[in-house]
Amino acid sequence: MRDHTAFRQRRIRTSDYACQYMAVDSFVHRLGAGAKLLIGALLGAAAVLAHEPWSLGVVLALNAGYYFGARLTLSGLWRDTRYLLVQSVIIMGLYAARYGVPAGLWPGLQIALQIGLFFVPGVVFLRTTQASQMMRGLGKVLPYRLSFLVFTSFRFVPLFAREIRQIAMAQRLRGARLSGVDLLNPGNWRDMFHCLMIPLLVRALKTSDEVALSAEGRGFGIRPERTYFDALLAQKALPDGDRDDDAPSGSIGPQASVCGSTDRSAGSKASGRGVARRMTSREDP
Amino acid sequence: MLRVKLLSYTYERGRAPALSDVSLTVGAGECLCVTGQSGCGKTTLLLAIKGLLHKGSLTGDIELDAPDRCQEPFRDSVGLVFQNAETQILCSTVAEELAFGPENLCVPPDEIGRRVHSSLESVRLTGFWSRNVERLSAGQKQRLAIGSVLSMSPRLLLLDEPTSQLDAPGKAELAAVLRDLKRRGYALLIAEHDLKPFEDLADRFLVMEDGRILSESNRIPIERFEFGASGASSTNSDARRATEHCWKPRAQLGRLDGDKARRNEPAVATDGLHLSYPGVGEVLKGIDLSVVQGERIHLHGQNGSGKSSLLACIAGAVRPDSGSITVAGKKVTPRVSLFGKVGYLLQNPQRQLFEDTVHEEVAFSLKRLRLPASAVDRQATEALETCEAGHLATRLPLSLSFGEQHRVALASVLAPRPELLLLDEPFSGLDLQQRIRLLRILSSLRDRYGTTVLMASHDLVLDPSWSDRRLTLENGTLA
Repeated sequence: MRDHTAFRQRRIRTSDYACQYMAVDSFVHRLGAGAKLLIGALLGAAAVLAHEPWSLGVVLALNAGYYFGARLTLSGLWRDTRYLLVQSVIIMGLYAARYGVPAGLWPGLQIALQIGLFFVPGVVFLRTTQASQMMRGLGKVLPYRLSFLVFTSFRFVPLFAREIRQIAMAQRLRGARLSGVDLLNPGNWRDMFHCLMIPLLVRALKTSDEVALSAEGRGFGIRPERTYFDALLAQKALPDGDRDDDAPSGSIGPQASVCGSTDRSAGSKASGRGVARRMTSREDP
Repeated sequence: MLRVKLLSYTYERGRAPALSDVSLTVGAGECLCVTGQSGCGKTTLLLAIKGLLHKGSLTGDIELDAPDRCQEPFRDSVGLVFQNAETQILCSTVAEELAFGPENLCVPPDEIGRRVHSSLESVRLTGFWSRNVERLSAGQKQRLAIGSVLSMSPRLLLLDEPTSQLDAPGKAELAAVLRDLKRRGYALLIAEHDLKPFEDLADRFLVMEDGRILSESNRIPIERFEFGASGASSTNSDARRATEHCWKPRAQLGRLDGDKARRNEPAVATDGLHLSYPGVGEVLKGIDLSVVQGERIHLHGQNGSGKSSLLACIAGAVRPDSGSITVAGKKVTPRVSLFGKVGYLLQNPQRQLFEDTVHEEVAFSLKRLRLPASAVDRQATEALETCEAGHLATRLPLSLSFGEQHRVALASVLAPRPELLLLDEPFSGLDLQQRIRLLRILSSLRDRYGTTVLMASHDLVLDPSWSDRRLTLENGTLA
């Protein structure tokens, strides 16, 4: 008889895909990066200003509409916001400790909710904005190279999340005090910096070198401007067999017009059908 | 297509030249493989041809037959695929990644769409248009990296150790893609340790040492013959002799006594282990495993077969969905610490090094075990000597070469004398000599410490007789 006493429950697991771009079609996906930043700023301001239960409820509803209107899923929301729940518990615990129960619960919940609601529009931005859109949007307010730095840093979030997990696992087996319980003791925080952050920093520096070389090898920065390709719109023009089997069915609409544009002009336009037709040829050297 | 004449290069703070009078040619539709030990100058040669060496002293000529498209300093007729696909990929989805290069070259968007589609076909990723790159296997990422360069329409493709992270099917797929590109007229220059996958693809092989080209031949150089992946050791007498000199035959190492093993408590036992990830599915499907003390196990399987997940479960770092794990007589639960009983060596040793000197690095675990200072010093020194790293004791770990870091990281894991040693792809990134050295060290552990070794690797072991058992993990089950 098998002994399954150690692990009985199937649990919700961590995932590498929090806050990563999700390739479905929605009205939020079709909004420009600037518009999404504006909406994010407005919702963020509303979250800061809302203090009463009714106003927080309204902001919560707006955020929920914005998130699910982007065709993002409940499981995605969990992955995006689960770490905020830990923070919320800590905040509520501190308020309860300071003001007692139940007097401290509502202020704690209010602050935790405000932080969460401030965070959600940013998640929607990351989930719905392609790198090229992000660079084009940020390029209007930031230098081109800086916007590249910003969007590339998001790409490597899952990689470094994996790195942290692997380093922590190996170092704990070497005696480093890195478990959640260990880190409640400030005396063990030195291990976090020493055993975890130093290897992570070394990996980050090496990764940044490799990323820079990869970007340079592909012509990044050799011209003062660049073109921008809208992969989502171009995908609509593809024959069914060429579309990604990972994308939800029905996510691709029939209409397609602009596949991308240069930074300066209104853009090179091509009909979706034309794009599909031209894509069938193969280029050899 | 490419003519390199008397190319020499010295890094800005380098004492010796990284390249010395290197001359070679590659024609259209030709494939040239460059091989040599780590640090021989292969990568530097590729960077020089691509024009990515900015500092230091470069002399000699690099001529390309693409004058209309060859813009100094950026040579867009040359595409360079780096060794680590994971950090070469800059965008979140496959199509965006393929479009990144052409966007930088100001290619019109509709033309980019055509190139993206063409590149997807070329690297056999059709249907992956909007796939998140995090969902790709190692082999698919490597092919995406090649596709992201192809979309810039190069004529010469440079590949730096493209198979280093790939399993056997991944290598075969990569070779098929490259064979197709060669047939279509691309010139290929590949720097690689493992030449076996390119045996039928390459027209010529160059051997480099200390920045110089030692020899050129039409067949795989005998010195570089890779053991294992194809059972090739039986056909290469020189290489086989080399390995025989490096460690004693298995019988002399103390073959695991069957009767003794049966009496022993199992070092590792898993019962009905199930594990799944969201978006991935079940990676372990009822793993029943029993490893006796002192046994050497090679856990074999393709990329993504669940080898690392199984090791992480055994190490107590990942909680399985169901099933039980016993290590060194202890049931593994979230509350049980395996510190001192289990050692875990990661694929990249840089992830484990943080101290100021090698000796301190190795002594870290021993100090945490609160051993007396004399015992700490003795065991650290012994572990370093076991791992042939005693001469590095005063060096800064992060300043060492990759192979040296690997041995120091192994010493730091072995210092507390763990009962079980878990190794995740330990041969990745090591050249033949370093692999032989590592296997020699691992072979000595049973006699010295009675250590049980569980090694996960997608490649076959250099000497298959090293392991007492080879277990194959396939589709989440043990074969």
